[in-house]
Amino acid sequence: MNLNSILKSLDSCGYFGHILSTEEGIVLHNSLLILQNENHFRQIFFWGKILGVEKDYYIAYGYSRDILYGKVYYYSRNCTDWGLLPKPTKNGLVLTPLCTSKFQGDPSLVIDVLIDKDEILIPGKRKQPELRKLKEEDRLASTVYQIMDEAGVVPRGALFRRPDGIVVENSSFEGLSTLEAREIKSFLHFRPPTRKQNSNLLTRDDFNYAMDFLDPLDIDLPEGCWIIQITPAEDMAIVKSIHWPGLLSYHFCKTPKHGFIYFGHGKKSLDAPFMLSPFCM
Amino acid sequence: MTPVINDKQTSSIRQNHTCFKMITDYDLQGEDDGAVQIPNSETEFINAKTYLQMASANTGDNLYDHLTEVLNKILAERPENVIDFFEEYSRKVKERRFKPMTDHLEDMYVPPGRFDLANKMLLLLKPLPPSEPSTVDPDDLELADMSKNNMLELLYYLEHCGIGLPRTEMFFVMLSIRKLIHTEPIAHIRFWGKIFGTLKDYLVVECELKEEEYIKRNESYQDQVEPPISVEENQAEDSRIRKALDAIAKQQQLYGEGKTGKYPRDLPTAPKIQYEEAPEAPAEPSGVGINKKVYYVCNGVGDPWIQLPDATPKQIRVARQIYKSFTGNLEEPICTYPEFPGKEREFLRAQIARISAGTQICPLGYYTFGAAEMGEGEEEEEPEEAAGGETKTSYKPNPKYDPPPLKDLLDGSVSFWVHTAAYILPQGRTNWWNPSPMPDVNDEEMDEELGEEEEQEEQEKPKAERMEPETGPPLLTPLSEDASVEAVPPWSVRCSSGIIDNFAMAVVRSNLWPGAYCFSTQGKIFQNIYLGYGLKYMEHNFSPLPLPPVQQEYPIGPEILEMTDPSGADEEKWRIDHLPKPKEVVLAGEEAEPEEAGEEEEEEEDED
Repeated sequence: MNLNSILKSLDSCGYFGHILSTEEGIVLHNSLLILQNENHFRQIFFWGKILGVEKDYYIAYGYSRDILYGKVYYYSRNCTDWGLLPKPTKNGLVLTPLCTSKFQGDPSLVIDVLIDKDEILIPGKRKQPELRKLKEEDRLASTVYQIMDEAGVVPRGALFRRPDGIVVENSSFEGLSTLEAREIKSFLHFRPPTRKQNSNLLTRDDFNYAMDFLDPLDIDLPEGCWIIQITPAEDMAIVKSIHWPGLLSYHFCKTPKHGFIYFGHGKKSLDAPFMLSPFCM
Repeated sequence: MTPVINDKQTSSIRQNHTCFKMITDYDLQGEDDGAVQIPNSETEFINAKTYLQMASANTGDNLYDHLTEVLNKILAERPENVIDFFEEYSRKVKERRFKPMTDHLEDMYVPPGRFDLANKMLLLLKPLPPSEPSTVDPDDLELADMSKNNMLELLYYLEHCGIGLPRTEMFFVMLSIRKLIHTEPIAHIRFWGKIFGTLKDYLVVECELKEEEYIKRNESYQDQVEPPISVEENQAEDSRIRKALDAIAKQQQLYGEGKTGKYPRDLPTAPKIQYEEAPEAPAEPSGVGINKKVYYVCNGVGDPWIQLPDATPKQIRVARQIYKSFTGNLEEPICTYPEFPGKEREFLRAQIARISAGTQICPLGYYTFGAAEMGEGEEEEEPEEAAGGETKTSYKPNPKYDPPPLKDLLDGSVSFWVHTAAYILPQGRTNWWNPSPMPDVNDEEMDEELGEEEEQEEQEKPKAERMEPETGPPLLTPLSEDASVEAVPPWSVRCSSGIIDNFAMAVVRSNLWPGAYCFSTQGKIFQNIYLGYGLKYMEHNFSPLPLPPVQQEYPIGPEILEMTDPSGADEEKWRIDHLPKPKEVVLAGEEAEPEEAGEEEEEEEDED
């Protein structure tokens, strides 16, 4: 969600029930601009809010050159004092999916993560269950990384790859039409592409080298894990992932306005196969 | 255009030619060619332009016109960093050109997307039709109190708490509630919240119906509670199976399939189902317990409100064991194990009941038990009402309510907030139903459910005796009594403002039902709201109930056990053991036969 829409969060994420409160909005609107100025970011975005038991984390990111590869994340617990979110560590990325407890709201808290003897997520043989330490700050970084990796969404055409390889926002993006917005293919993963460029290009007949370099959403499993809703007024498309309840991507059709925001506990839901109807999809 | 330019070109060349002639006045061979080859900016320009204006064989377009158009567009729009997006601009201009000129559909008017919505909204915006003149005194008509249903005021508070629904939606809810209370027998109505589905969402309002309506609904209640016992039916079914089996046996005899045995054998009796379904607790009547409130749902702005049916204890119990997302279609079948009795309509109702029971709270002291309700010990004489501690089922606003200060409401122990909805027992009812006529209570099943109970589960005592009634915490128990499930504290408290204390609000958030909120302005105004997926938080991921063990078809005995055939030595031993006493040989003629056979065999063996 970019800086200008923070004050109007009711219009965009109201359909999801969670918005930025009046006070949060006003504080963020100003403190993020100052953060942008300090870091010489070209643009700054509010990423979302991870709900903790004691305190909540507010996350923001900015970029100065490349919007896809050059994102820098910041976090705060009171919307005003921002600290750099560390890069996800290898240990953190491995351990985070195993954490089942809630975020507490204290970044320096160190929690113990129990690794079962026959845990398959972590390679290596263990003779007995193993305890490993994880700092909540690292867990936060890994969670944000994972959410972005799996559930960040941009409408097709909103990002543009320049001939020198740098990805920028497409200033000539005019927005998807309502018809296009109903199609899952029109939304792309906001992450460095994982598939070969060719296979991403060839998913479309009207491919465009500068736009179709990202992975489309329809490669994800199980079918139906992405929810696309068009508002009754047919002016906005809402994309939600069943794997990350709390992440909401919105796009105002026929306008360049788009964005995403996360409000949640930072826990992936692995229950998608149970939640979807087995026969009635 | 092209031919004109060609003419110009040739004419200019000709002109040059004549000039040379005039000056030099002598004629060399090939002079014409030399004159053309001399570099000349004008000529070069014209050549290049001609090239650019060559029409494409495929599309008939030419680059010159295209570039003119692109540059024209760029100059008109003056975008920033245009060089980065030049290709994009060029493509767009081209795209526009390729639109067929003869688009017959263009003449058809396509209504804008919001057209349907606008139509629906306009219907609601009209003033209500004047009520037909009735003989009833207008004071007796008593419509539901709308004074507390100012949705825009509610939205104002919600916005401060960081939750909210789009303004149009809130306005729609307000308009349609106003309409609803005129058409339905509603005594009290409140906006409950929103449940998100995969295709559509549900807006939910919570109502209390008028007294007469509840009485009318419960007239047929007694019949439903005691369904006719179908023992006779079962017997009839048994005898039918028996007959069918006999018929098969007879057929086998007739058609010689029974040749393998000397004697026609009866087929074994059909196995009996030993599993007895536990007696099902009857549903609570409308207006009591989990069915105290009636819920109306609709899919969104402009859709009609649909009343949800009352929940049954079984639906509540099964809903605790499954994990299923809503689709937004009330008729959607719920394909899960254990089988859910009903469709999404019933599942939605069960989840709403569970959410309400778990998350409806108010500041301490706002409600009080009326003095009249305090001494209801007499009712315990009746066995069905003998659920201790459940006698207090009603409360009313406390006239001497003194709002607790904000500091107390924000206290981390949440002891200044109390539950206002009755706790649902593992049985699926709010007051315990004694299944005593049938002593086989499904104890194990209930014990299992204990693990997955609502947040007050520590209140549940393990079943020491079979008939120990299930009890839950009474109404208006402070939230601090809630047990935390799997180390998740059940509630989190936030202050809506860190800057202005005077107008700050306390926001209580349920961690067990993500999306359930209650806010209070310094204790004066409070409201519960739920905005979520309608699913309970799970510390560990969901794992479905395992299937029950396979039942034994027949009691284990020699008839159905597989054993090794007797060897020759065994048979010999048997024979010797069973050698008939000489006197009885004559009497037991039948037994003699196999023995003789045995002897013969042995003789044969000996011969071998």
